[in-house]
Amino acid sequence: MPDFGTVASAILSGLLLGGMMGLIALGLSIVLGVMRLVNLAHGVFLVMGAYAGLYFLKLTGFDPLLALPLLALGIAALALPLYRYLLAPLAQRGPEAQLMTMFAVAIILQNLFVFVFSADTRSIERSYATLPLSLGAITVPLIYVIGFAIAVALILAIHGLIAHTGFGRDLRASAADPAAAATLGVNVQRVQMLTFALGTACAGVGGVLIGVAFQFSPSSGGAYLLNSLAIVVLGGLGNVPGTLAGGMILGLLQSLGGLTLGDGYRDIVGMALFLLVLVFRPEGFLAARRA
Amino acid sequence: MRKLHKSLQAGVLFAAGALGLTQGAAKADEIVIGASLPLSGPLAGFGSFQQWGYKHAVDEVNKAGGIAIGGKKEMVKLIIRDDQTNPNLTASNTQTLLSRDHVVAMLGSCTPALVNAGALVAERAKKPIVTGCDPLQVFTSVRKWKYAWDIFFSVPDLTVAPFKMLAAAGVTTNKKLAIWHDNGPDGQANGKKLWPAFAKKFGYTVVQNAEFPINNAQFTSIISEAKAKGADVVLVDAVTPPAVAIRKQMASEGYKPKVLDIEKGAEPVQFAQALGKLADGVLVGGYWDPTFPYPGAAKLAKDFEAETKLTSSQHIADSYAAAQILLDAIAAAGSTDADKINAAIAKTNKTYVVGPIKFAADHTATLPIVSEQWQGGKTVIVWPKKAATGKLLFPMP
Repeated sequence: MPDFGTVASAILSGLLLGGMMGLIALGLSIVLGVMRLVNLAHGVFLVMGAYAGLYFLKLTGFDPLLALPLLALGIAALALPLYRYLLAPLAQRGPEAQLMTMFAVAIILQNLFVFVFSADTRSIERSYATLPLSLGAITVPLIYVIGFAIAVALILAIHGLIAHTGFGRDLRASAADPAAAATLGVNVQRVQMLTFALGTACAGVGGVLIGVAFQFSPSSGGAYLLNSLAIVVLGGLGNVPGTLAGGMILGLLQSLGGLTLGDGYRDIVGMALFLLVLVFRPEGFLAARRA
Repeated sequence: MRKLHKSLQAGVLFAAGALGLTQGAAKADEIVIGASLPLSGPLAGFGSFQQWGYKHAVDEVNKAGGIAIGGKKEMVKLIIRDDQTNPNLTASNTQTLLSRDHVVAMLGSCTPALVNAGALVAERAKKPIVTGCDPLQVFTSVRKWKYAWDIFFSVPDLTVAPFKMLAAAGVTTNKKLAIWHDNGPDGQANGKKLWPAFAKKFGYTVVQNAEFPINNAQFTSIISEAKAKGADVVLVDAVTPPAVAIRKQMASEGYKPKVLDIEKGAEPVQFAQALGKLADGVLVGGYWDPTFPYPGAAKLAKDFEAETKLTSSQHIADSYAAAQILLDAIAAAGSTDADKINAAIAKTNKTYVVGPIKFAADHTATLPIVSEQWQGGKTVIVWPKKAATGKLLFPMP
């Protein structure tokens, strides 16, 4: 039986890590909500963010966490032509065409990463990324606390953007009924393009955090994509605070799963939860409000 | 909502998809050999070195004019396919190389799961395959091989090395041992059987024995338990991505054992590059070093580093030697007939860059083991004393 310190540390670590996962999943959630698109390149965009952070550090010597807005803008800018030239022309051909397009983009980008960066495992080396933060018997990685704080701040900012701005109103209208929104003068295509860029930026920022906290390689994105899908289902589609809560619940359950069944069984807990919610509460376990 | 669920289901299905690569066919007047290698996925760190070793051996033969087949010199063509660290792809790549590319013989992939998957296909097709990167006892446990040949280390030699090294160094620990191993064939052999047996023999108490999937990324529970139990010595069997994760998460959990030995995953230089100073002090078993007294050892590393501008790895040596053994056998057979090549491989008796190679009846040739430690971004040999190139860093920083 693990002692109090081990259990408490696992619970807190799970909640903090879940917050970071919530930010990553939020990008997937808003794109799914507005464009009806499961962005299969979301995990690859996360890896792109991690490489962007790594090379930003190598080339400038500055901490990539201090340059998160810049990196987010850069990654969002890369998403704009993808939407304009690949997704927008397929908008009237059903969700499958866009889904398959993004699947192809994911494969191309993953292979491009192998070609350009090699398939080696990388990590963004920062001294604070390997420091423990101890409070009595409880120890959590300092980077989890930093990552959680950044994730919560960004999630609240996106919540504010969606709930209290004109763009947010257009986004909510486009998500609820794109045809009706268009008849009321909303430029739905522009909203979709900016939403796609925002979702990509969430993945990119999450990638920088993951790159600092953990390790990554061109093929690392798949696991984060699947986790994000589980969080979206758990938190409710388009529910911004719900996505944060969903991430934290998944992180907590994965930690408890790791503690009781072993670290190798963390993902099973997440996927089991994903299936249970899909079967018994398909609108999302925490779905109270929609964007 | 129904549309969304349809999208979600399709998304999950597509997320599980895979990519296959294809390459061109061979010319009639060339000797075609093939290999399926992990050029992407968790074992890419090994595959890139193997690819260089195989190509380097083939390039040398071609520069010397090729190999005489039936009295006529022919160039050697090497076709390499990426198995993405997936044994199913290794098997299908091998099948493709044999049936579509018409290779006359194969070179192996890396780690038992991949090597054995390819070797079984080659064995069924009665085509010879020479490999390294597959611990001998795991290789021989699969079946009695007729066409597959393995040059690598003996599993007991590797697993006993940390215990022998610590005994020889005369360092003091509390003799509490934590064992963390993946659920691959060699991970289970080391972690479940051999390390616990040697721990008992050398007077250690195993306070934790944890198993995890090969691609696991989160180790906080395992690390917390070992920390709570106060293990001074940690032995790990994992591939490179989890090995990096383990070392990073140990530091961020505030766990500092005196000895950390990570087999497999701590071998490639990308381990040290990803970790920086955190790699210092990590031990790993080795079977080759450029300082070994075999012909061409120092030159091989020099050639690699001059050509790639990267630090060399021991995987260039067993792959280079495996390719040389196969090419020598084709030359000795003077034929591309599979059985004649296979018979020539069996007669191998020569000193290669990894040492003297003469296959035993079970188709294996054993490479000696040393203990290496990462120090300042490079590995130094710390055991045995006669091969040492540096002093043991103890306790781990």
